[in-house]
Amino acid sequence: MSKIQALGLDVGSTTVKMVGLDAEGEMAWHFLEQAEPLLENQIARFLERARNVTGPLDGIPLVATGYGRGLVNQATRTVTEITCHARGIYRELGHGGTLVDIGGQDSKVIGISPQGKVIDFTMNDKCAAGTGRFLENTASRLKVSLDRMGPEALSVSDEVSISSTCTVFAESEVISLIAHGVSIASILRGLHRSLVKRMVSMILTVGLTPPLMLSGGVAQNPAIRQMLEEETGQKIILPHYPQLMGACGAALFALDA
Amino acid sequence: MTIPAIPRRIDVIRTFKEQGGYVAAVLPIHYPRSLLRAFNILPVEVWGPPGIKARDGAKHLQPYVCSIVHNALSFLQSGGLDITDILIVPHTCDSLQGLGSILLDFVSPKQPVIPIYLPRGKRESDVDFFANELRSIYRQLEAITGHSPTDADLLQSIYREEAADKLLSELHRCRRNLPFSNLAFYRLLRNREHLPAETFMELAQKALAQKVDTTQDGGIPILLSGIVPEPMSLLGAISQMGGVVAADDLACCGRRLYPPGQSDDPFRRIAERILYAPPDPTRGNSIKERLEHLLQLVETSGAKGVIFYEVKFCEPELFDLPQLRQGLQEAGLPSLTIEMDLNDPLSHQALTRLEAFLEMIQ
Repeated sequence: MSKIQALGLDVGSTTVKMVGLDAEGEMAWHFLEQAEPLLENQIARFLERARNVTGPLDGIPLVATGYGRGLVNQATRTVTEITCHARGIYRELGHGGTLVDIGGQDSKVIGISPQGKVIDFTMNDKCAAGTGRFLENTASRLKVSLDRMGPEALSVSDEVSISSTCTVFAESEVISLIAHGVSIASILRGLHRSLVKRMVSMILTVGLTPPLMLSGGVAQNPAIRQMLEEETGQKIILPHYPQLMGACGAALFALDA
Repeated sequence: MTIPAIPRRIDVIRTFKEQGGYVAAVLPIHYPRSLLRAFNILPVEVWGPPGIKARDGAKHLQPYVCSIVHNALSFLQSGGLDITDILIVPHTCDSLQGLGSILLDFVSPKQPVIPIYLPRGKRESDVDFFANELRSIYRQLEAITGHSPTDADLLQSIYREEAADKLLSELHRCRRNLPFSNLAFYRLLRNREHLPAETFMELAQKALAQKVDTTQDGGIPILLSGIVPEPMSLLGAISQMGGVVAADDLACCGRRLYPPGQSDDPFRRIAERILYAPPDPTRGNSIKERLEHLLQLVETSGAKGVIFYEVKFCEPELFDLPQLRQGLQEAGLPSLTIEMDLNDPLSHQALTRLEAFLEMIQ
C-alpha cells in the first residue's frame, strides 16, 4: 500500500466513511461503517484504525465533511459535503456535469463545471422522501433487504403508482396496497419510481447538464439507476466507489494543505 | 467601535403613549409612515414576530399560510398587541389580504382595523388610485383620533420621513465603511421598523459618524434578498462562515429605501414615494425590473452571489424565483434559495447550504 499523505472523513447520517490518499491523490485506503449514535466515539475509533494503517497521524492532514463534520475536533478544517462530493467525483471521472447524490438523510443535485467547480446545487433536506431513508423505511415494512429492493423492483413490469410523496404516508399507502393483494415487487417498483421522480424535479431545479453522474449509497441500487436513466433520457455514470466520493473530496482538500 | 445604544421597542411604545400619542401595529410591507405620524400615531411594524407559539392563528388560517401571518394573528389573539391602538393591514399578498378579512369579519379585535389597498404598478393612474386610498385612510384616522392635520402638517411629517429615509439610504450605501458586523448593522437598520423618524435619525447619524475611508474587510460579499432576515442569527452565521452582506433586497430593508416624492400634494407625494421605491413583487413590479435592480446592486456592491432567504409559502417571492435565478445565472451570478419558518431556529441543513454556497463563490 502506498504511503498515506492525507485523510478525508465523511460523517454522514447513515454511514461514516474515511479515505486515505497517497501523494498522487490516489485512494490508498478506505473504511466504512454504519453511523452510530455516539459519533464522537465512532470518530475516535476511525482515527485509531487510520493510525493502525499509517502509524502516527501527526503531520497527516485530515479534512472532515458530512453532517457531523463539526464533531471532528481532530480535523485540520471542515468542508461541506457539496463541495467535497464535487471534488471527489471530478477527480475520479475527470469531467463536469450533473451529480446526483442520494444519501441517507438528504439528497443533493450538484452542477459541476468542466473545470470541476460547483456552479449550482440544491438539496432535499426537509423530508425523508427522495432520500435513502425512504427506501430503508419501506424495505423494513416490506421485509425486503435493502440490497434486494432494486433487483426485486426490476423483476416485474407492473408498477403501481404511489401517490404520496411523504415517507410516512407512503408507508400507509404500501400497507393499503398489500391489503389489496398487490405484489411486493410491483409496490417496490412504484416506490422506486416515486423516489426517482422527486430526484428529477430537483435535477430540473439546477438544470440538467450532461453527463449525469450518481453517487451515494443509493447509487448501488440498480432500479434507481435504470429509472433515473428512463426519466431523464441520460446515461448514468457511476464512480468506482459511489459512497466514498465525499470522503475522497475531503481527502483531496487535505492533500492541498 | 460599537453600535449606538438602541432603545427597547416596548420602552419606545410606552414613552410615545405617555406623551399622548397613539400606536399602530402595522403588518408588512409598505404603508404611509408620514400620514400616521401626522396624526401623532407611531407605526410599529409586526414581522411575525418570530419565535412565538403560533397556536391561536391556526384556528383561522390554513397550514400553507406563511408564518408571518400565522404569528401576527396568534400574537394579536394572545394579547401581544394589546398595547396598540390601531391595526394597519396592507394588502401585500393574498395571505395578508386574507388576514385583513379575518380581522374585520371574524376576529373583531378591540383595535380598529384599517386595510390598505395597494396598486400593482406605478403608472399615473396607480398614483391617482393610491393617493385617493390615502385620503380615505386620512378620513379613517381622523375619525379614530379626532385630529385633522392640515396639508402643511402632512408635508412637514413627509419631509421628516424623507430625511430619515435619506439617512437610511446613506447607511445602506456606505455599509462596507462602517465598523459593524452583519448582525449589528441589521439590528441598527431594523430600528426603522419601530423608532420615530427623529430618534432613528439620531441613531443613524451616530453610526455614520463612525464611517471610515477604507472598506472594511468583511469577507466574501453577498447580496441578500427575501423578506426578513429572521432568525437574526443568520447574519452571525454568514459572518462566521466568512461572508458579508454587501447589499440587500430584503422586503424589510432595501426594498423600502423610499425616494423623496415630487408632488406638493401630500397624498400624491406619499403615493409617489411608496410606488417609486425599489422593485418589489408585492407592488406588481416585473421580473425584468427586479432582475435589473438585483444586477445593479451586485455591480455597486461587488457581491459575488445572491442568497434568496425566503419565508416558507411566501407566494409573491417564490413565484418570481425560477426566472430571477435563471436571469442571474445568465449574468454569471450564482444564487441560493433557503426557505425558513419564523418559528424555527436556523437549521443545520440551512447552515450547510449557506456554507456550501460561500465555498462555491469564494
